[in-house]
Amino acid sequence: MKPWPALLLLPLLFSSVHAADIRFVTWRDTQGFLDRLIAEFEAQNPDLKILRDVGPHSSTEFHDLLAQKFKNRDRAMDVFFMDVIWPAEFASAGWALPLDRFFPRDAQKQFLPAAIRANTYGGAIYGVPLFIDAGLLYYRKDLLQKYHFPAPRTWPELVEQAKTIVAGEKDAGLTGFSGQFKQYEGLVCDMMEYILSNNGALWDEARLSGALRSAAAEEAVRFVRDRIIGEISHRGVLAYQEPESLALFSEGRAVFHRNWPYAWAEANDGSKSKIAGRVGMTPLPAFSGGASAAALGGWQLGISRYSRQPELAWRFVEFMTRAETQKRVALWTGRGMAREAVYRDAEVLEKYPQFRTQLEISTRAVPRPSTPVYVPLSNIMQRYFSAAISARDSDIDRLARHADREMDRVLDLLRPRAAR
Amino acid sequence: MNRADRAAVWFALPSLFLVALFSIYPICDSVRLSFYRMILMLPWLGEKFVGLENYADLVIDPVALVSLGVTLLFVGVSAALEVSIGAGMALLLNESFRGRGFVRAAVLVPWAIPTVVSSQMWRYIFNDRYGLFNFLLFGRDTSRYLAPLAEPWLARAAIIFADMWKTSSFAALIILAGLQTIPDELYEAAEVDGASAWQKLRRITLPLVKPALLLALLFRTIDAFKIFDLVFVMTQGGPADATNVLQFYGYKKVFAEGMIGYGSAISVGVFLISLALALLYIKLIGARVLEPGAAR
Repeated sequence: MKPWPALLLLPLLFSSVHAADIRFVTWRDTQGFLDRLIAEFEAQNPDLKILRDVGPHSSTEFHDLLAQKFKNRDRAMDVFFMDVIWPAEFASAGWALPLDRFFPRDAQKQFLPAAIRANTYGGAIYGVPLFIDAGLLYYRKDLLQKYHFPAPRTWPELVEQAKTIVAGEKDAGLTGFSGQFKQYEGLVCDMMEYILSNNGALWDEARLSGALRSAAAEEAVRFVRDRIIGEISHRGVLAYQEPESLALFSEGRAVFHRNWPYAWAEANDGSKSKIAGRVGMTPLPAFSGGASAAALGGWQLGISRYSRQPELAWRFVEFMTRAETQKRVALWTGRGMAREAVYRDAEVLEKYPQFRTQLEISTRAVPRPSTPVYVPLSNIMQRYFSAAISARDSDIDRLARHADREMDRVLDLLRPRAAR
Repeated sequence: MNRADRAAVWFALPSLFLVALFSIYPICDSVRLSFYRMILMLPWLGEKFVGLENYADLVIDPVALVSLGVTLLFVGVSAALEVSIGAGMALLLNESFRGRGFVRAAVLVPWAIPTVVSSQMWRYIFNDRYGLFNFLLFGRDTSRYLAPLAEPWLARAAIIFADMWKTSSFAALIILAGLQTIPDELYEAAEVDGASAWQKLRRITLPLVKPALLLALLFRTIDAFKIFDLVFVMTQGGPADATNVLQFYGYKKVFAEGMIGYGSAISVGVFLISLALALLYIKLIGARVLEPGAAR
């Protein structure tokens, strides 16, 4: 028998199962919540099927993949994950669909204001926040208690405590601090927390000019090079992203650790961590005269401008970000959610008491400045910070002036036409 | 033009058309774009003709200069290693031994695997936690495991090694073809005269295989200049720009930063350097290989 007639029937077979595919570009989810949610969504919406396109884990590579799809006007992408720093760029390039008709102001009010601000560009909203992250300081509760130290409020205090504890413990494997100092986006978050808590800034948003050569910013960078890296860290941190730095802390080899909220559950999981139950969490320290500054991170869902079916895509986005879903994801994963109500939910608080502190810190978290040219600016800053803190004798002032000049050139592009 | 020549033109037309469509047009378009300032994320800036501004920026861009240095290092080391190893392989494969056909086919396997796939394999091998590289060096002593792709010089070495693994056999193939054009009578005559194996290699094989060696070097140099996929998969240009080769830098400018004009200027720069290299080699190899009937 010829195979032809049977082949012609194939499309019919599929079309009877569902009416439309929603293509969802996501990163690989190691916690398994996406699988569960997608299965539930498809059960409730038999006419829709979610086709997952799994991109790279690194935010930078994920960005490049999305940019490539947008540049090619790829119609095979409806919904995508968006890092907190991308909405301005995607909105300005005309890649992300404005969602105001689906996601009006009063619906937005139920999310943390910082997350909504990060998704707003030129008065319109371009993403629905899913996760909210803020930089936190983790510490070894047992060790601080042993030496009668309160949680440090200033960076120099943290360095002194770490030195005393490391000297007192006489454990060759123990270091004072573990953070993210590799040349990548995470470095900008970590360094921004030092600079802002010394009353500095990454750049002057009003005057559109670089601000890294200000005394406050240079002093903070010098502090990281000479004291955080030079005195209390293992030099390996210069090549660490989140997972490696958390592994060091979980192995009991660092007194202090800077990370996002997800680290709480990981460090307290006895099957992955040697220090479960001995972990404390507190706002990041500041310099004297400055205030603690936590970098805002997190992930949003956006809809592509080139999607043929934004209404159907919205049904999925709405499901993924509705209150009930957010609560369940919080219970499954312990991640910081974008809806404020999750942090007051009795069930969530019973399982994750740290959500109280987390809400306070996330509410005050500072976003990286929102601009369509964030990626080129970030690349300049990553190079500068990495060069400045990696070599013990780096000429910080010269490097900062150079970085500022390069940032000025990029920021110059944002000036209105007439002024240029 | 006689009739045979005219027929030849017709036969060459389809391939000329394809070359024009897939090589000449994109190159011309890159050159055109490199004279504009075009930024994807700032569509209101429009397309502004800026003349040579992108090139003026490029020659003083410290990142591009470091990147050029990294690329030249990669090209120099990898092309030299690949042609030397390829020559060794070709000499071996030119001898007659049992199973030669099988071995000749087998050495081409690395060349046949797509680079993205083999890059991924090398990335696993050099992983700092479960990589074979660390296991071979340190066994189960995981506390001594290195992170080769996080150390500037180790990362460069890893990429050169991965490239060598893949393309040495390609160089071997070209050199082997050269070896096979050397008539056996020359060796027989040398043996009659009592020449040693070393003398035969120095006086007969090397001079006669020189055009093939240069050709292999030409292909490897130009190909090495265009390195992208190994870096893309294995290091993404890191750590701290240590493997940020020009092609990858250009890709990042266009796709990550949306700077179409500036990224195109980088590509055109790479193109001009490869073109200059190709012309230089053609001059070196001379008429011998490229003109018909002159191969011997």
